[in-house]
Amino acid sequence: MHIFIDLWWFFKQERLKYGFGILFLMLSSFLSMIPPYVVGVLVDSIRTRSLTPYGLGMWILFLIFIGIIYYFTGYIWRQCIFGSSIILAYQLRKSLYKHFTRLSPNFFQKRRIGDLMAHSTNDVNAVQVAAGEGILTLIDSVTMGGMVIVTMSVFINWKLTLITLLPMPIMAVLTMYYGNLLHKRFSKAQAAFSDLNDKVQENISGVRVIKAFGEEEAQIKLFRNASKDVVQKNIAVAKIDSLFDPTITFIVAICYFLALIFGATYVVHGSMTIGSLTSFTLYLGQLIWPMLAFGFLFNIVERGSASYDRIRRLLAIKPEIVDQPNASDQVPSGSLDYSIHHFQYPGSQASVLSEINFTVAQGQTLGIVGKTGAGKTTLLRLLLREFDLKDGQIKIGGTSIRDVTLNALRSAIGYVPQDHILFSATIAENIAFAKPEASQEEVERVAKLASIHEDILRFKEGYGTIVGERGVTLSGGQKQRISIARALLADPELLIFDDSLSAVDARTEVAILQALKTERKNKTTLISAHRLSAVEHADLIIVLEAGQIAERGTHEQLLKKKGWYAEMYAHQQLESLVSEGGGKA
Amino acid sequence: MNEELNQESHSGRQVIWRLLSYLKFFKKKTLIAFIVLLTATGADVLGPIVMKIFIDDYLTPRFFPVRPLMLLAAAFIGLYAVSALFNYYQVISFQRIALNIVQMIRVEVFSKVQHLGLRFFDQTPGGSLVSRITNDTETIKDLYVTVLSTIVNSTVMMIGIFTGMFFLDMRLAFICLLLMPFLLVLMWVYRKLSSKIYRVTRVKLSQLNAKLNESLQGMSMIQAMRQEKRLRNEFGHINSEHKMALLQSVRLNSLMLRSAVYSVYLIGLMMILSFFGIQSFDHVVKIGVLYAFINYLDRFFDPINQIMQQLTIFQQAMVSAERVFGLLDDHRTAPVQEGNLNAAVREGRIEFKDVTFSYDGQTDVLKHISFTANPGETVALVGHTGSGKSSIINLLMRFYPIERGGIYIDGEPLTAFSDQELRRRIGLVLQDSFMFVGNVADNIRLSHHQITDEQVKAAAEFVQADQFINKLPHQYHEPVGERGATFSSGQRQLLSFARTMAQNPKILVLDEATASVDTETEEAIQEALSKMRRGRTTIAIAHRLSTIQDADQILVLHRGEIVERGTHQELLKKGGLYYKMYQLQHGKTGDKVSSAH
Repeated sequence: MHIFIDLWWFFKQERLKYGFGILFLMLSSFLSMIPPYVVGVLVDSIRTRSLTPYGLGMWILFLIFIGIIYYFTGYIWRQCIFGSSIILAYQLRKSLYKHFTRLSPNFFQKRRIGDLMAHSTNDVNAVQVAAGEGILTLIDSVTMGGMVIVTMSVFINWKLTLITLLPMPIMAVLTMYYGNLLHKRFSKAQAAFSDLNDKVQENISGVRVIKAFGEEEAQIKLFRNASKDVVQKNIAVAKIDSLFDPTITFIVAICYFLALIFGATYVVHGSMTIGSLTSFTLYLGQLIWPMLAFGFLFNIVERGSASYDRIRRLLAIKPEIVDQPNASDQVPSGSLDYSIHHFQYPGSQASVLSEINFTVAQGQTLGIVGKTGAGKTTLLRLLLREFDLKDGQIKIGGTSIRDVTLNALRSAIGYVPQDHILFSATIAENIAFAKPEASQEEVERVAKLASIHEDILRFKEGYGTIVGERGVTLSGGQKQRISIARALLADPELLIFDDSLSAVDARTEVAILQALKTERKNKTTLISAHRLSAVEHADLIIVLEAGQIAERGTHEQLLKKKGWYAEMYAHQQLESLVSEGGGKA
Repeated sequence: MNEELNQESHSGRQVIWRLLSYLKFFKKKTLIAFIVLLTATGADVLGPIVMKIFIDDYLTPRFFPVRPLMLLAAAFIGLYAVSALFNYYQVISFQRIALNIVQMIRVEVFSKVQHLGLRFFDQTPGGSLVSRITNDTETIKDLYVTVLSTIVNSTVMMIGIFTGMFFLDMRLAFICLLLMPFLLVLMWVYRKLSSKIYRVTRVKLSQLNAKLNESLQGMSMIQAMRQEKRLRNEFGHINSEHKMALLQSVRLNSLMLRSAVYSVYLIGLMMILSFFGIQSFDHVVKIGVLYAFINYLDRFFDPINQIMQQLTIFQQAMVSAERVFGLLDDHRTAPVQEGNLNAAVREGRIEFKDVTFSYDGQTDVLKHISFTANPGETVALVGHTGSGKSSIINLLMRFYPIERGGIYIDGEPLTAFSDQELRRRIGLVLQDSFMFVGNVADNIRLSHHQITDEQVKAAAEFVQADQFINKLPHQYHEPVGERGATFSSGQRQLLSFARTMAQNPKILVLDEATASVDTETEEAIQEALSKMRRGRTTIAIAHRLSTIQDADQILVLHRGEIVERGTHQELLKKGGLYYKMYQLQHGKTGDKVSSAH
């Protein structure tokens, strides 16, 4: 039950709603005691033929009155209690989202997105159920159950109540036992279903091999068996699930039977009227729900607690990268200065970068080249403070990037990542992502700079074309150029291209580089690339090899060195010739 | 808008009929279950009548003979025992039928997907396909198991209760029938209103999830561009809309579900009480009948509540069913044998005659491809990414239909071969060595049980996979996990070679892996490949030109056309595209090329 204590803050926040909700819930339980009583009174007066038209009319009016009040109390408590539980879910989602926006990249690398999604949907739902249905079943089973029993024993006959209720605990025990069994079998059925899912997943991913080897029929057979297994596990569930209703009906029937047999004796002895006996059996019917609710309550609370614990653990995770206590708000500007002694990713032993020292003056362009895995991306991500350096410094204009706030640092930097993340929005909105207030002219200007304007106009909706998961599919090159335009619009002090020209053809690359040159005069640009043509014009090129600077210099200097760079350059020249169809040599 | 809704309900009716049509496979079982259900309901309905007899014939006149009373008591307990037992059996039977129907639908969808062509797979994201086969059919299961069985059960129960009422008192039963219009209107209005709100809630939920998913994926970008606050607001907006939709559905449910049904119950109660009350002004009333009626009324509303609560599941299931049937009706099936010539692959001569091909019907990826591979020869395909190499293989494997030109094996058109013959005689080795969950031997043998353990071992030895297999703790029984992740890519390649060799094909189609493997395995792979090619007609895609220097014919492809053809030496002499490519792979200068002469 500790979920109710854990959620106390919320009950306190919504105390009015919960207060009224519980009050009206209890009121409506009380109101539902009345019709059976009226039935009892009327049955007696009908039997003794003492009922008058006036009396009947009054009782009917009374019932109508009760009905109307009951309807409204029912409406109010449902609104209050279920409404609040929805608000709880809303708040939890909101805080989770807010929390996600604060967490560091390392967190998102370690956790699977599917899991985070599950926490934000399934777990939040389970907590919502605990705060809604959980409260309902708790209050209902306690107050309604209590009230019915009290009414039965005080107003009708306590001895009869006791006798009649004897089988009820058996029902509670049995249903709880079924509940446990059901839970176990249900997990097995779930597991079988997830196996089936895996089977299908495998089948779809291996479709070529399956077709090549003519395995279709064999796969269908396997699937049929897996699916049969699911059916069998589900039937095992059904076998338990179907026990609830008959068990309840039968035990309730025994209760009725006892009530009737013993009630009849009391009626014969004159200590009870037939009317009260009728009311009594009606009350008996009203006891079924509280009994069941009690069983549900445990289930709901158990699931809610587990989910809420997971949510709390998630919310308790602290972001790894935070502002220093005295960090300055001033957006840094000036020359870029790397002096990394050593860097490794948190939790890993392998050294990723070591002895990286260089300076890029303001307005210059730095080129970073090297094999995949040489450390190019890491070098750039350190500047974004996606990870913090323990052994070294990166300075902008003489100030360490750790001495300014994350906000100030990020204002200074524009970033075009390797994998292009576009959002489900229009192209214009995607380009204006960092500057939502940008005008259409500004958006088009940077689109032209990034050589994507013409492509965009070719879409039917132009700049209003929706992209992303549920929109138009763009080619890799188009995505790259849109994210370049996006970074250019922010017009940052420092612009980072993390291998972001890989999917554009050579001619477009030249155009973009040319545009960059004029556009970013006096501003620093960092370009990492596989294709050396992208860095040819850089003021400084560094060649990374296994996390160290193997060569450095300008394009001409590096060519003269006849090292990796020169070799690679010749190779790529030839490669481009081949891809152009042999150059008709 | 209205038209749209009408159309929807129209197709909805078709979907329901199609779903129900599966019942015809379970006629007998359904009939038995139905009879059991009727018996159980009968017993349920008789219970209050027994009580009525007790009250009117014995309790009111204070007449208590032992034997008849004992009999009555036994009848009462007996009836409920029968009801409990039969109801249990009935529910299980219906669930069993429902689950078996879902099983049928599932197998049907899966089989359908197996026979769809690769064109379909190119155009459909794998994730949504998986979800169609499993999740959507699972929702149909909910429809069958909960909704349909609830509706059948509840309807029969309601009819039973009315029958009991008519038996007890015709006039009052007619009066009680007056409640039905109230209930039907209530249900109809609720269904109308809830379907709209429900749809909005679903849309908002999927927007909420999409936004969250997208944000989680793009968080690095959001943070780098300092848009956290804006995105928080955007998410907050959707979150709040979702909340509003949910609150609306709570409001609707509070207005129209249990509370409203309870009001109708009270109306019924008042009708019964007034009926007997008015009668009592000038007659003696049978209290037992009154008791039985009140009892019936009490039970009557349980089925109503249950039906109303299932209505939303019903809506979701219809959407799923529609999607599943859409997939079942898809026309993009795989190309199959035409006619019943049952041609056989004898020698393995392959001929492409002026083949032009396009995936999308717009851009041709292959243009006028013609070549012949004589029995036992190796034809190598080289060229850049997108030059059309893979498309040639896809057509030869009959993964896609040939529309222009023709492909012939031993002089017979490709369409004349049965699937079985084609798959058995042509061994394909793909770049991506796909592994199935199971063990090593399973992965070599696949479903061909006629392949003995010895043949599996022989195949593994032939490609030298036995060396690493023998080092595994369980050797040929070593478990293979999802996608074979516990094996190195080189090992996976060798296993897929063994898989092909176990079939002993006449024709070999190789798609060489681009990914580099460790040198040791690399050597084994190259050796295995050249051994496999011996005596087999081979079509090979080569990325490393060094591996195909001994090919009988090399076709150089560029943008869907064969631009050069000949042997390695001939092509080098030509000094064209192939020569350039060779230079590219073999080092810095031209020295090496000349030494290769």
